[in-house]
Amino acid sequence: MFKKLSLFSKLSVLWVGLMFFFAIAGRLLPIADPTEFFEVQGAGLFSPGHILGTDMNGYDLFANIVVGSRYSLLIAIFSVGFGSLIGGILGIAAGYLRGKTDYVLSVLFNIFLSIPNLILSLVLIAVLATSSDPNEPASETRRIIVIIISLTIVIIPILGRITRGATLAWTSSEFVVAAKSMGMKDMMIIRRHIVPNVLPSIYAVAFLAVGIVIVVEGSLSLLGIGVGNGTSWGSMLARAQGDLEYAPIALFVPLTFLGLTVIACNQVGDALRQRLDSRESKL
Amino acid sequence: MSELLKVNNLDVRFDTARGVLHAVKGVSFDLKPGESLGIVGESGSGKTVLSRATMGLLTMSTAKKSGSVKLNDVELTDLSRSDLRSKWGTEMAIVFQDPMTALNPVRRIGDQIAEGPRIRLGMSKKDAKQRAIELLKMVQIAEPEKVLKKFPLQLSGGMRQRVMIAIAIACNPEILFADEPTTALDVTVQAQILGLISSLRKQLNMSLVLVTHDLGVVAGHTDKIAVMYAGEIVEMAPTKELFSNVRMPYTEALLNSIPRITNQSGIRLPVIEGRLPDPTLPQNGCGFSARCKYATEKCHTERPQLVDGGNGHMYRCFFPLGVNK
Repeated sequence: MFKKLSLFSKLSVLWVGLMFFFAIAGRLLPIADPTEFFEVQGAGLFSPGHILGTDMNGYDLFANIVVGSRYSLLIAIFSVGFGSLIGGILGIAAGYLRGKTDYVLSVLFNIFLSIPNLILSLVLIAVLATSSDPNEPASETRRIIVIIISLTIVIIPILGRITRGATLAWTSSEFVVAAKSMGMKDMMIIRRHIVPNVLPSIYAVAFLAVGIVIVVEGSLSLLGIGVGNGTSWGSMLARAQGDLEYAPIALFVPLTFLGLTVIACNQVGDALRQRLDSRESKL
Repeated sequence: MSELLKVNNLDVRFDTARGVLHAVKGVSFDLKPGESLGIVGESGSGKTVLSRATMGLLTMSTAKKSGSVKLNDVELTDLSRSDLRSKWGTEMAIVFQDPMTALNPVRRIGDQIAEGPRIRLGMSKKDAKQRAIELLKMVQIAEPEKVLKKFPLQLSGGMRQRVMIAIAIACNPEILFADEPTTALDVTVQAQILGLISSLRKQLNMSLVLVTHDLGVVAGHTDKIAVMYAGEIVEMAPTKELFSNVRMPYTEALLNSIPRITNQSGIRLPVIEGRLPDPTLPQNGCGFSARCKYATEKCHTERPQLVDGGNGHMYRCFFPLGVNK
């Protein structure tokens, strides 16, 4: 199966795989301590001992990329996972049941789509991610959970609309009428006939959404409300933003990783959709 | 023999943007066990709506249905959705017109055939697979084990229609509705599929309702024929009687417009001029009067009723052919 992919798709799969490996094995790898100050500040690429250089604080960038991939990917995967699951279920319900359910859900989707996602996250984090003691910041875990929740809310209407559209098209297809005419129950029809047909479009959009979420997480960090102190790619950007003149590498490295991961995710989503879609002839 | 299916005064209207569309106007027919009925009519005459309304498959909120449909003396129009559902597949099943769209493109043939026996008859996975192979053999598909693993797009149109038939008969229905089962197929394959449906009907002792726009299709395969025009049955008779004593001018016009091998070359094929009346407008007089070459003043103003002309031959015409008044 892997052999049949195009070169671009192969590279994308390898890249996404590598990022996952970083996220999972992160600290077990022989990398520098990401929180240690080294003497070389603002070192360029391929400096001795620091393959991707260091930033103005003397942090090793490669070590921070590897460790930062964990939160970046964790947030992306959980929010897209929950978002697609809930959005998919709501979308199928709207598209299959039609009528009032469809109307109410569609209006809700549109309302949530019309709220700028950064502002939504900002509000949620401001309200939920606070500790009881005003002098002490909320714990990191709590912050991450709130970020995941707010990004899930961003993803739900996107996936919901896509799924609703696809479901609508398949529900009126003749094989659904045929299944009905054989006495199948609605849940059975949804499980056996609607879901397999709708899944490819959900996958494609979900992978696209992983890219979006990684970028949004970066923007949140830039605004100072993401995960703190260089523990994700976005917060690496936030930490380095003031040092553009002195150590541009500290910005370029996380940006490159962020960009490549987004592109690779889109490509993997596309390749996956093509492989899963048996309607596209393989002759 | 008592009737298996009794349709009485079935009426279907749709609310559309242009007004109420009267698709089926008080149609009645009945069917004995093992008997076959052909419903013939041109596009838009209400054949498909009639067959789906009989099964109770019209679920659009804009459809309004009245009249009675009795299957084994059970009134179907009174049944709840779940009670009706329990009859679908096991007591009546339908074969659709287009096998390209009526099969799920992303599921294997075997799963789609086994679905009915698995869920409706409660068979185990293994038994259902056996049943699927058996069904594929019944619809004369070679190498059924191989076909089970294929996707619909890997099969030809004729094969797909055979699979559709296999799915429809999977739970041993008493009545099979075939809604233009051969329209989407090659002429050479059409004959095979019709032959297959006929032989399966005899083999399984099913009743058959064959809906088509082609009189030639029903000629050899049904016991009775009902000719539909503008939502009404305009002529109904046993097949032999209908072809030897055509009463209704519309049926005569239909028969004349079939090309014949004995026709002299260079002669234009007779066609029926004009179109079906607009189903959203109220209708005065006989629906066919505007296109009928025998029509008189009476035909345009009064509505003819379905009359029994003996030999089980019913027609809806003031001036039936071959009858002197």
